[in-house]
Amino acid sequence: MIAADPGADRRLLAALGREAHTPAAALSALTVVGAVGAGGFALALAFVLAGPGRTLALVGFITALAVRAAADWGSTRLSSRHAARAAAILRRRVLVALLGRGRGDAKGIGEAVAAALDEVEAVEGYFSRYAPAAREARIAPLLIAAIVALASPIAAGVLLATLIPFAAVMALAGGAAGVEADRQFAALSRLSGYFVDRVRALPVILAFQAEAAETARVGAAAEEVSARTLSVLRIAFISSAGLEFFAALAVALTAVYCGFSLLGLLPFKVPETLDFRRALIALALAPELYAPLRRLAAAYHEKQLGEAAAARLRPLLEAQAAPEPDPGDLAIPEPCAPAVRLSGLTLSLGGTQLGPLNAEAPAGALTVITGPTGTGKSTLLAAILGLTPASAGQVEIAGHALAPGALAKAAWAGQAPAFLPGTLLENLMAAGPDVTPAQALEMAERVGLAKALAGRAGGADTVLDERGSGLSGGERRRLALARALLKPSPLLLLDEPTADLDAAAEAEFIALICGLTPERTVIVATHSPALARAADHVVSLT
Amino acid sequence: MSGASPVGDFLKGQTRARRGDLLIAALGAASATAAATWLLGLSGWFLAGAALAGAGGPAALQAFNYLLPSAALRGFAILRTGGRYGERLWGHRAALKALAALRPALFAGLAAAKPAEALSLSSGEAAARLVQDVNALETAFVRRAAPWAALAGAGAAGGVIALASVSAAGAFLVGLGLQLIMGDQLLRRWTAEPGRDALRAAGRLKDGLAAYLPAAAELRCFDLTAKAADALMAHDGALSAARLQSHDGLALVSALRAALAALTLGAVAILCRHAPMPLAALALLAALAGMEGIGGLLQASADRGAYAEAVIRLDGMLRAAPSPGPAPPRDAMLCLDGQDLRPGTRLGITGPSGCGKTSLLEALVGLKPAPPGRLIIDGQSVEHEPLGWARPLFAFAPQDARLTTGTIAEALRLANPEADDDALWEALGDAQLEGRVRAAPQGLETWIGDGGEILSGGERRRLSLARAYLRPAPWLLLDEPTEGLDRDTEAEVVAALAVRLTRTGQGAIIVSHRPAPLGICERVVRMGG
Repeated sequence: MIAADPGADRRLLAALGREAHTPAAALSALTVVGAVGAGGFALALAFVLAGPGRTLALVGFITALAVRAAADWGSTRLSSRHAARAAAILRRRVLVALLGRGRGDAKGIGEAVAAALDEVEAVEGYFSRYAPAAREARIAPLLIAAIVALASPIAAGVLLATLIPFAAVMALAGGAAGVEADRQFAALSRLSGYFVDRVRALPVILAFQAEAAETARVGAAAEEVSARTLSVLRIAFISSAGLEFFAALAVALTAVYCGFSLLGLLPFKVPETLDFRRALIALALAPELYAPLRRLAAAYHEKQLGEAAAARLRPLLEAQAAPEPDPGDLAIPEPCAPAVRLSGLTLSLGGTQLGPLNAEAPAGALTVITGPTGTGKSTLLAAILGLTPASAGQVEIAGHALAPGALAKAAWAGQAPAFLPGTLLENLMAAGPDVTPAQALEMAERVGLAKALAGRAGGADTVLDERGSGLSGGERRRLALARALLKPSPLLLLDEPTADLDAAAEAEFIALICGLTPERTVIVATHSPALARAADHVVSLT
Repeated sequence: MSGASPVGDFLKGQTRARRGDLLIAALGAASATAAATWLLGLSGWFLAGAALAGAGGPAALQAFNYLLPSAALRGFAILRTGGRYGERLWGHRAALKALAALRPALFAGLAAAKPAEALSLSSGEAAARLVQDVNALETAFVRRAAPWAALAGAGAAGGVIALASVSAAGAFLVGLGLQLIMGDQLLRRWTAEPGRDALRAAGRLKDGLAAYLPAAAELRCFDLTAKAADALMAHDGALSAARLQSHDGLALVSALRAALAALTLGAVAILCRHAPMPLAALALLAALAGMEGIGGLLQASADRGAYAEAVIRLDGMLRAAPSPGPAPPRDAMLCLDGQDLRPGTRLGITGPSGCGKTSLLEALVGLKPAPPGRLIIDGQSVEHEPLGWARPLFAFAPQDARLTTGTIAEALRLANPEADDDALWEALGDAQLEGRVRAAPQGLETWIGDGGEILSGGERRRLSLARAYLRPAPWLLLDEPTEGLDRDTEAEVVAALAVRLTRTGQGAIIVSHRPAPLGICERVVRMGG
């Protein structure tokens, strides 16, 4: 767990913004153009009303508004593109980190999915709405105040003075909103996780007639999201209202000051004499000075959400930051089959303990792991692959301690495989760079996929999606097995490869994997007595 | 929004239910826009009047009432602030409450759908609908106050411009109308498709990720993680392209709108040229501020594509739960493929895989339509009764041993929310899992991970058995209850099951290809030749 560190969250966002190439110069230039347009608009307005040169002033008036509109248009396009680049960089990083997690992570699929989409979306909003508003708010008000000062320094001073309480309101509201935004994300993530889980478990929920109870729980989670969102919004709206108030007050104060000054009724002496044109310029610019700040206040919510999202994503990204070593340095020497030795290996998962285990899978032999259910056969395979950390002892492969990238060097077929969108053949050929279509098809036949291929119009060109839709559960496992066997790896780990085979198919399969030794070390977790009889070596877990 | 849309009807109902909040939001929006219009207009009038009075000598100065306008300016400043706050807070409150009610309704709709349909919805897609689609509706709901703001802006500005020149007021309203029509038409054209595409891409992204996550380790093993990320990033590309298209459309419309606004102001200025200067200043500044009022309405036009798509996608999920009618009595006779079963009977079913054993159990529980003529309960053919009609009779342990995420106790109590800890321990004991759970430091409160992922396959199966044991139904339906268990554990589970059945008097229908569980059955039928 990484401690809360708002500074680090902001640094993460800032680094991400730079990496996506913030168009800083162009945005700043457009802000200046926009402010100059606003100044021109105010000047022209004064001459339109008070003359002289009304026609020319009218043309200038329309031109100034058009210039400002064009500047807005340009900066919106620039910042939305920048935000899209930043979101793409972050999303890829989050996806890779999520796909690189170990077993037994506390976050379920629903929460992970929420992180990859909803939280990255919040960061997109931060860059497309908050970041440009913040940049504009830093530059434009001072520029406008400078233009006002040309007409009336006192009015400019009044306007600048109203900015001070505004800054205080924003700062106060900001601290409170950060906490609430984090709670909002937590509630949304919980709801998403809960919903995903219950949709997956729907058959069971129906069978146990738990629909009403589960609907009530979804309702409670949804209520919480709604309450949390409203808390965030309330703070955002109060700070916006504070801002609106100062903006309105600035207009009113400017009008009253200028009016009394024109009337000559000011109760104090000022070192300037106003005429109507100057007064009108100051008045027309008062809302312009506040416009960027109002936009900032409207986007302040995006800042809170973006920072809260960064805080939630940061542990995931930092865990990912430790790079896997170059595959060239790995402990499995090629091409000979390695021996796998467990020395004092202790694994803990879900409150119980496995081991300490001392065992060896000899090089180039077929080793079978057997044992009653729940004794940790799959967990042991995961430990050999480096997916489950050992609480004590170690795994040695070919005499070297397990290196973090062992997984990439081994071939493995687990119990719930996934595929890439593409054809069945492409998925088989993904096993290794040198796998030919002929080899892939032959292997598909040897693992018993021939019937499945013949039964489909597309054959080996049948298109699969991420979840292998269109194949049965058994066929997906055969396909994963063929992929593992095709990978030219000296170490092959198989989890229950014969679970759904009848006796004849099982015998064929056993002959197939016995033929892989001694070029490869094969480790199989199984309940099958036939497979255990065929093994060179048996590790029994009790 | 067609009348036949369940989501449309739901939103209409919510609009009625949230009438109070929506009214406050509309009043707030209208008063904020009107106050903003008058604030700027009156400021202009005040300045121009003050300038004339200041230049006109002491008499003019005496006649100029400055107290009332300056008080009104402060009043409008407060009204604008308060109105805007009211619009935002109550508008969002109405929307959030309405949509919080929609989410459980969607889940209930999914549960009430034909299981084949409901189960074809992947978990990632379901999450996308629950979050992104509902958010799209929420945004539309928040914009309910927008027409009132637009009307108030038009009315407040039009009224005071008419003081200077009636034709200028006409020109203002025409200009405003043109902005609205142009904006609405262009936004419909430019943002409808991207709005729809963004929602679809978000669904695909979530769906693909939910498929890859359980196989993350395998992807790494074959060095496919980067390729899998590429595949998902293709959906991200579509999402981001759609979003950019929307942003661009909106940006271009606001630029065009600003150009139209400039021309409108020019027309107002020309038509007011003969009016006294204070009134001309009032008209021009009020026109400037009053045109801001249609912003919300145009934003609503831009959101319409996403809204329409969200309604279509959610309509399929939202439906009323059918009332299944009275269930058969608990002591009903069953008849499976001509085998008469009185309560308490134990029937074994075996046969090669793919012969339909699992389907038969699922049809009994109402997860699948029943095959004609093969299942009769209490003299009624199951296929003629609504799906799920006989569910109260059965406690089901399915083949895939699906568990809910949470603690062991939570997973078990799905079957019987009222069960106390003793009952849970007893069921765990009969499923030969008690020792394992007792050994865990947190006992029943042990977290079992996503769908029970930290348990082994055999433990998941036994936990699923224990869950079925907890449901006080007259029949147990067990699908391959000992698959994945070693021989010794299997023997213990089967022996405990036999004792339990004798004690509770429950009947059982056990599907298995293994001899041990079939051994405790009085009758065994072989399906599929």
